Amino acid sequence: MIQLAKRVIRQTINDKRSVMLILVAPLLILTLVYFLLGDSDYVATVAIDPDAVPAPVIDALEQQELELVDITGDEADQALDYLQQHEDVDAVLRFPENSGMDITLYEPSTKGATAISEIQEAMADINPTAEAEVSYVYGTQDQTLFDSLGYVFLALFSFFFVFIISAMALVRERSRGTLERLMMTPIRRGEVIAGYTLGYSVFAVIQAIIIVLYAVFVLQLSNEGNIFWILLTMVLLAVTAVSFGATISIFAGSELQVVQLIPFTIIPQVFFSGLIPLDLIPYHLGNLSYIMPIYYGAAAIKGIMVYGDGLSDIWGYLAGLTAYALVLYVINTQALKKFRKL
Amino acid sequence: MDIQLSHVNKRFGDTAVIKDVSFTVAAGEICCLLGPSGSGKTTLIRLMIGALPADSGTIQFGDTEMPNMAILKRLGFMPQNDALYEDLSAQGNLAFFGGLYHLPKRTREARIAEVLDMVELTDHKRKLVKDFSGGMKKRLSLAIAILHEPDILFLDEPTAGIDPVLRRKIWAQFQSLKAQGTTIIVSTHVMDEVVECDKGALLYNGRLIEYDTVDRLLAKTDSGRIEDLFFAASESEARS
Ligand SMILES: Nc1ncnc2c1ncn2[C@@H]1O[C@H](COP(=O)(O)OP(=O)(O)OP(=O)(O)O)[C@@H](O)[C@H]1O
Ligand SMILES: [Mg+2]
Repeated sequence: MIQLAKRVIRQTINDKRSVMLILVAPLLILTLVYFLLGDSDYVATVAIDPDAVPAPVIDALEQQELELVDITGDEADQALDYLQQHEDVDAVLRFPENSGMDITLYEPSTKGATAISEIQEAMADINPTAEAEVSYVYGTQDQTLFDSLGYVFLALFSFFFVFIISAMALVRERSRGTLERLMMTPIRRGEVIAGYTLGYSVFAVIQAIIIVLYAVFVLQLSNEGNIFWILLTMVLLAVTAVSFGATISIFAGSELQVVQLIPFTIIPQVFFSGLIPLDLIPYHLGNLSYIMPIYYGAAAIKGIMVYGDGLSDIWGYLAGLTAYALVLYVINTQALKKFRKL
Repeated sequence: MDIQLSHVNKRFGDTAVIKDVSFTVAAGEICCLLGPSGSGKTTLIRLMIGALPADSGTIQFGDTEMPNMAILKRLGFMPQNDALYEDLSAQGNLAFFGGLYHLPKRTREARIAEVLDMVELTDHKRKLVKDFSGGMKKRLSLAIAILHEPDILFLDEPTAGIDPVLRRKIWAQFQSLKAQGTTIIVSTHVMDEVVECDKGALLYNGRLIEYDTVDRLLAKTDSGRIEDLFFAASESEARS
């Protein structure tokens, strides 16, 4: 078993692209996600008819981080047409007679949401009793999307890259005939799977350490809990990924087919990993998450990073992952019977 | 160790690939499997080493019926494709298999050096296999098969793609293994190699059409060429 693990390690190190995929690709994508979901300094543009808006409101709006554009009363009345013709304007603000405030947006988007929240803050300045104070049990209002969803990517990466590398390596082992040769030696079937898992676990540990340190200390991803538990979860998740990869390799005839199976193996897991709150998924489909290994990993990492959970709070998820890995281990050892009955 | 096959059958789906094959190879003999492409040579070897289960019939090595873990250790197998780890060096491949066969640490290095020398790869032992030529891969594959000094050696077209000079050297190796008591089953397309063997098994469409000592097989043909036995088989098949 140790022999096999050593070989997997040596073989992976000699294949530069695999090393890049495991160690460099997650950092690259994490950085990209950081910039995409991070704090943007976007300044929304709001169009008003200065003659129809009360002066104190204009003063208050000017205090906010907003770009104000003056339009005529006619343009304001035709707000929909105006927005269609002026793509750089995010919202038209009007105060029609006999009613309150009227905001017209081009489309539901985060740009529009920025405009609305700035307008609301301006209104609160005029009338302090209308101010809504929002506070959170966990996290703060000025957390970026990256802070609140970052944990999902930690879970995804520790699963995805190890899965791809190990599934492909096992398919290659079968198609090259080295698996048949391996099964001609006195090695036990269980040792084959365990050796593989052990070999890739070494990379999983290195990968987890690099990703977590990079996310928390370089990208400043907010973390309430103990980094060690995050590492433990990521390694467990990666170990499950190796077993999962081994199982998928049974159904894949070639390396290309591993890629072709990604829509069935990985993409559903992405949706159930916490990107979408499970309660919002209709028809109780959220329950499907219980059959997906990434769910357990993501839930545990969320617990640690967002709620500051310790081992006593997340052990259930870790147990779920371990059970998953064990079931796959048994399936994989049985599947090797195809190559040798004993 | 001797080998006995008795009424072995194997189908893949609807097609019977090995049909009622029985023969015996005595310990220390070299037996060659001859037959056109697709006649079932590789399948028969995989059945014998236990990589494929037979549908019916028995395969015995010595007194032990296969598959059997204890016997497995005493078999060596060189597959038709190279079956090597391309991202490891020649040395790395040998060290890995040496470990799996539990070669004692003290003698492992020496044994690896010995087989590398036999297949003339000592100068290339640190090179990654993906940078090897086709013939070099074949030789490394052979080195792995004989590394643990097996009692029975299965070689699936070991000399395909190897130049005549090296081919002669490799056959000299087989003869010296035989002299040490190794039983060798070797499949080949090269009819010249038949004279190096003791027994010849002629496979045609999964049937064993001839099995005899090489001397007697050659005597059965007017020309002294084994090919003629296959032409005769294909003619009789065409008639029926
Ligand atoms: N795994 C398999 N599934 C289905 N058919 C197979 C399989 N392996 C072999 N066959 C079929 O069995 C027959 C014998 O194949 P085999 O590889 O044993 O031939 P061979 O004598 O070794 O040929 P060659 O000299 O070309 O290596 C062929 O018709 C082949 O298509
Ligand atoms: Mg063949």
